[in-house]
Amino acid sequence: MTLYEKIISIYPALTIDDFFPGKGTIIIQNDSDGKGDYISKWEHPTLAQPTKEQLDGISS
Amino acid sequence: MALINTTTTGVLGTTLYGDGSGNLTVQKDGVTQGIYGNIPAFSAYKSANQTLAYNSVTKVTLGTEEYDTNNNFASSTFTPTIAGYYQISGSLYWTGISGRNYAVICYIYKNGAIYKRNAISITSLGSAGDWSNEINSLVYCNGTTDYIEFYAYEVDYSSSGTITINGASSGQYSSFSGILIKAA
Repeated sequence: MTLYEKIISIYPALTIDDFFPGKGTIIIQNDSDGKGDYISKWEHPTLAQPTKEQLDGISS
Repeated sequence: MALINTTTTGVLGTTLYGDGSGNLTVQKDGVTQGIYGNIPAFSAYKSANQTLAYNSVTKVTLGTEEYDTNNNFASSTFTPTIAGYYQISGSLYWTGISGRNYAVICYIYKNGAIYKRNAISITSLGSAGDWSNEINSLVYCNGTTDYIEFYAYEVDYSSSGTITINGASSGQYSSFSGILIKAA
């Protein structure tokens, strides 16, 4: 399960537009360094950034 | 390194000699007007495909260098050692989009953050359906800490799937390059 899918499962109300760079308030990034996806920006006006525990708690 | 400064009193017709190493720097009143010699220029391309995940801004890896005149390109990152204005160009060739609809963006990143972007919408045109987009910008780099990278992003509106950046040993598809235009 990707990081995007985990976030969506925590906040089903989020849409593609929330993640679209330049338009949304959340950016998922991957620096191709083997460390995988991470949240590089979370500026959503009402929803709090998920914690590592929340994300890790979602089964793949 | 040799240095010619126009405020230095000289004799007309005199030839100035450098020490035979480094670039030639020309200054006026102590301000650099130009640097001549082995100025930074690089070109790299993807020699293998890269799969881009849905909804993730991902660094484009460029496995093959065509040239890197001043050894400033490593790990798909350009860190020039001469301060100035650099023409940076990137091209991505998207493939495997048959029957799908995407929005794709390519970015020039400076110091880990978005500097310029170029977005296009891709609609499948049947079984062929390969597309490309390009980005170009003049970017100032301080010659010490500033660095430039190439990133890309995709949203698959049809099936939340991946997309492939085409890479090939010919170097004809996805590439990234830069050159110093004016020293500062």
